[in-house]
Amino acid sequence: MERRHSRLTYTLITIVSLLTVAPVVMLVIGSFSKNLRAFGDFTLSKYIAVYTDPMLVETAGNTLVFVLGSAAFATVLALFLAYLNNRTNIPFKFLFKVLSVVPMMIPHVLFAVSWALLLNPSNGILNMWLQQLFGLAKAPFNIYSMPGMIMVEGLLDLPIAYLIISPAMASFDVSLEESSRVFKGGPMRTLFKITLPVLRPAILAAFILCIVRVLASFAVPSVLGMPGRIYVLSTYIYRTVTMSLIADYGKAAAIGMSILVLSITLIYIYRYYTRFSDKYVTISSRGFKPAVVELRKGKIPLFIMLIIISFILIVLPVLVLLYTSFIPYIMVPNGQAFAAMSLANWRTVISDPISIKSLGNSLFLGIVGATVGSFLSILVAYVIVKVKTKASGFLESISFLSFSFPGIVIGIGFMWFFVRTPLYATIWALFFGYIATYLPYGIRPMTSAFVQIHGSLEESSLVCGASFATTMRRVVIPLLVPGIVSGWVLMATMFFRELSLSVVLSRPGTEVLAVQILRFSEDGQWGKLSALGLIMIFFSTLMVVGVNLIGNRFKPGEAKDRKPA
Amino acid sequence: MQITITGLKKHYHSEGKTIRALDGVNLTIEANKIFTLLGPSGCGKTTLLRCIVGLETPDEGEIKIGDTIVWSNEKNIYVPTEKRELGMVFQTYAIWPHMNVFNNVAYPLQNMKMPKDEIAKRVAKTLKFVQLEGFENRPATRLSGGQQQRVALARALVAEPKVILFDEPLSNLDAKLREETRKELRMFLGELGITAVYVTHDRVEALALSDMIGVMRAGNIVELGTPKKIYFDADHQFVADFIGRANLIPAKVTEETSEHSLVTTAIGSVVCQKRSFDPSDELTLCIRPEFLDFKPASDAINRITGVVEQMVFVGEVYESEIRVGTELIFAKLDPQTTLKEGDHVTFSMKPEHCLLVSR
Amino acid sequence: MKLRKIMIAMALLLTVSLALFGAGTGEKPAAAKADEPLTGKVSLYASITSIEPIMADFKAKVGVDAEYTRLSTARFISTVLTEYQANKLMADVVQGPLPILEILKEQGVLANYQAKAAEGYPDWAKRDGIYLFGIEYVGLIYNTDLVSKEEAPKRYEDLADPKWKGHIVMANPASHATTISWLVGLKENVFATEAEWMAFVRGLAANEPMFVASFGPTPAPIASGEKKIGISMPKYIVTNAPAPLDYAKLSQPMLGSPRAIAITSDAPNPRAAEAFLEYWLSDGAMGILANDVGEYVLTPGVYPPIPGISETEVIPIRELSDEEIQKWGAEFEKIFALK
Repeated sequence: MERRHSRLTYTLITIVSLLTVAPVVMLVIGSFSKNLRAFGDFTLSKYIAVYTDPMLVETAGNTLVFVLGSAAFATVLALFLAYLNNRTNIPFKFLFKVLSVVPMMIPHVLFAVSWALLLNPSNGILNMWLQQLFGLAKAPFNIYSMPGMIMVEGLLDLPIAYLIISPAMASFDVSLEESSRVFKGGPMRTLFKITLPVLRPAILAAFILCIVRVLASFAVPSVLGMPGRIYVLSTYIYRTVTMSLIADYGKAAAIGMSILVLSITLIYIYRYYTRFSDKYVTISSRGFKPAVVELRKGKIPLFIMLIIISFILIVLPVLVLLYTSFIPYIMVPNGQAFAAMSLANWRTVISDPISIKSLGNSLFLGIVGATVGSFLSILVAYVIVKVKTKASGFLESISFLSFSFPGIVIGIGFMWFFVRTPLYATIWALFFGYIATYLPYGIRPMTSAFVQIHGSLEESSLVCGASFATTMRRVVIPLLVPGIVSGWVLMATMFFRELSLSVVLSRPGTEVLAVQILRFSEDGQWGKLSALGLIMIFFSTLMVVGVNLIGNRFKPGEAKDRKPA
Repeated sequence: MQITITGLKKHYHSEGKTIRALDGVNLTIEANKIFTLLGPSGCGKTTLLRCIVGLETPDEGEIKIGDTIVWSNEKNIYVPTEKRELGMVFQTYAIWPHMNVFNNVAYPLQNMKMPKDEIAKRVAKTLKFVQLEGFENRPATRLSGGQQQRVALARALVAEPKVILFDEPLSNLDAKLREETRKELRMFLGELGITAVYVTHDRVEALALSDMIGVMRAGNIVELGTPKKIYFDADHQFVADFIGRANLIPAKVTEETSEHSLVTTAIGSVVCQKRSFDPSDELTLCIRPEFLDFKPASDAINRITGVVEQMVFVGEVYESEIRVGTELIFAKLDPQTTLKEGDHVTFSMKPEHCLLVSR
Repeated sequence: MKLRKIMIAMALLLTVSLALFGAGTGEKPAAAKADEPLTGKVSLYASITSIEPIMADFKAKVGVDAEYTRLSTARFISTVLTEYQANKLMADVVQGPLPILEILKEQGVLANYQAKAAEGYPDWAKRDGIYLFGIEYVGLIYNTDLVSKEEAPKRYEDLADPKWKGHIVMANPASHATTISWLVGLKENVFATEAEWMAFVRGLAANEPMFVASFGPTPAPIASGEKKIGISMPKYIVTNAPAPLDYAKLSQPMLGSPRAIAITSDAPNPRAAEAFLEYWLSDGAMGILANDVGEYVLTPGVYPPIPGISETEVIPIRELSDEEIQKWGAEFEKIFALK
């Protein structure tokens, strides 16, 4: 057992480090190199230049507020939704499935722009509406502010938190809660004293993953932060890069290093707090299906709240997109705008060969990439959870390496690396780059699901004469299905709209959707951008629905309850 | 199949401390017998079982199942769990919640690549054996504890392994069900006549089920023997104490004859059955409560008088404590007795029931 | 024990990486032969956007596939140099701002090709293989629904008028290199004294313009009416038509960075590259660029379809060095920071 584990651990360390360490090594070298490329004379000047900038202090403060705020907002909202969905008798549960993934599928730039359109202080649609309704002299909301940024970024990261917390919530051992109720713990007390602490690994995982993601996020800080003159690290890096015509990515990498250190510290903190994860094992043979809490009086208000959240998260941005895709330029909705509506943007996009080509490429990367990525993630998550050695800790840290760099920077790292391989300028550069960078999207939901599978379920399979591969295939993976579906969805939707790496590595023939969308946005062609964005959402939805259907077929419990033939 | 364990060591390191889970265990488990590893929690019994199955890797030593070495540090042999052809029932049963009963039980056969109709036949036969006929399509999550336990047993038996291992399989059942299942298990294993290794901390289970018992403490086998030998004739105070309620009184040998030893204790001089000990051993007199005779003949050996201090009625007996000098003697009094607390009472002990054990 | 295994894994990794580094240095492609038939494709790396019509027209006229890779200014040098040094530069032709192409020339990336189509171009537009063909002109773009022609600025100074307070959008003058160059260009080409210029900049700052990352996001808030006016590019009037956008016709000249194009020295398809450059600099291609993309081109008599543009003077500005950009960026940071 242990031998097999250590063999597996070292094989995975080799694979994962090839994927993630190589570009980071390039960036480290680049940050110490005098020249503009990866290799050159040694210098510390780049570090000195970026870390002595007085602006860095203010930026760091902003970043802290932004990152913690958004991650906390996303995690709390995700907890709330996951609890309602998995543990209560709230109606229309399918809404949650949709809710949880829609923000994954909307290009982030577009999401941020539609919020600017709704809540900008000059003529934001919602603002103007509220002003008229209440006779206010000034716009009540300003989206170009820290709270605005936190809200929009939090909504965008909600799916990450939800997809990690929800599977854990779904396989929660009810008897733990029941015993609390028996010992006179009220529902609230039970929630705070029992449910949340037991779910700690999943909650922490979600929170930390959100933090790391927000640290690297660029769309919201650039679209909403820059107009509000609020700089965070990612926009600060962008500024460093664009301040000169000869962009110095070494400097960007030098700033990136501190984000990297921060991220790795967070991973270790996470590991420290979940080191007794055996305590949290909850799936065993008994009590597999969580009981449902009757909401009674709370049902209607909670349901209304859910409807409002769905409206904000799904209907509003999609409506804005739909609207924008029909109008020739950005206009406030009025008679004139409706008169000007046409299908022109849709026609242009559908007849554009590069858009079609990029759709094909992105579908390939999304579906095949996420499948290969999920497979690798299952193995890595297995080692992280079941093999608690120093080496498995090391594996966990390196799996986060590329992920924790801001997108602008890691893309260059991959370019410096891939240009030395035959993969450069092929679709495989994107393929491996995506998997390497977004590996945690697969690993995180799967580890929190793994933590809950009792070791004996797997051991008994070995005793029954099943090989490791058979055990994985017939016992571990079927039990992991909720986690695997989450991981796959996170990866596939991410790959489908990936921008940071693509913009650096995509070449003629390997165009992908996000790069095409960026091109439209750089030309200010929001209509075409929205049309393509909607096409993207449509195909993302197909992928998500498809994998959920497949996942349901393997679902434990009910689905297997077939009558004898 | 016989299991031979030689010099098995397994140490854990945690927070700077070394825990010797197995401290050089030597053990031969005879073929086709039910062997029980008994001991308090943390004594290493589960670790030993898991080493036999291959779920854990020892640090040193050798494990032989039949004629096959499945683990040897020296010879660098490691046969992985799935190649050891064993059956095992886990404490949690480890019934796979995503499969129905049939698939759970058929699993080992499917791994052997047996033809489908043969699998169906064997599963049906095994389910019948464990009295779960007609449960094939029941999802595993819709079984009671006792049913899950039987599914686990069926799964362990279905491939007809030469050795079957049990890791505290009854500890999750309620008392009544535990008793029934224990009887059933005894019956099943008796019918099959295969080698069974059973781990438990429950002495009644151990006594009721086993052909042989190995009592473990701190990574070592302290004593090995049949249930009767362990119960009546233990060599060690720890074993005597662990296997059943006993009065343990420090003793010193003062005189020896060819058959008996005379010892002095806090309750006076007692004639015991003679046993040979290492002269440096400190000794304890061990008397089980059921051997105290409260209607002693006037000429009985080992007549002792004390005061009843406490009497608790538990149905079949009065559990009572009798003060003799500084010692409190635990005794079981006839439920119909007229004795009451504070009464003087005289009892006797036959020398063959007065057991000298090493401390 | 465990540590040793990690070391072995890392050593293995290092070996693989080194092997890959070694793979980076290969043979250079053979030089072009003039008598080879024109086949294959041509690859263009460009910072200019929306040029698909030109690529299609080239294929129609010359019969060679033209591939277009968009590289933003910030990524241009790093991408081209990285590929060049690994011997994997796939571009036959590169198009970008003049200073970027000049840096590439210093590094030996560019060929010194004499284009016949450029014979009619002014001398300052021909620089040893680098050809200037257009100006990335910057103007004051306003929303015609909200601002009448009469209200629109007549001079740059008018933008400092407090009536525009809260109604301006512009790229961030502390970080957007082109905007920094443009502001400094005003000082050197338009304003009589530095004091007048500084008054303008301070007035602009006092009007609290909204900052966006680059020129790309500037037209949307103007078109939607979120802002009334912005420092933006007149070409958006063409690409966003029929948005209510127009540019302010000033008495002073419009400024912009020159756009340049050149052939790479190790072009994989050298003959196609030459054909492409000749085509690009021809009146036909420039006509498409002006008409469809709204670009300001140097070809005499060809203008973008924006009324009045032919009467407007558009002049190329001096390119600032990196030190200057950073110095002025920091300066504008202070002036525009409204605390």
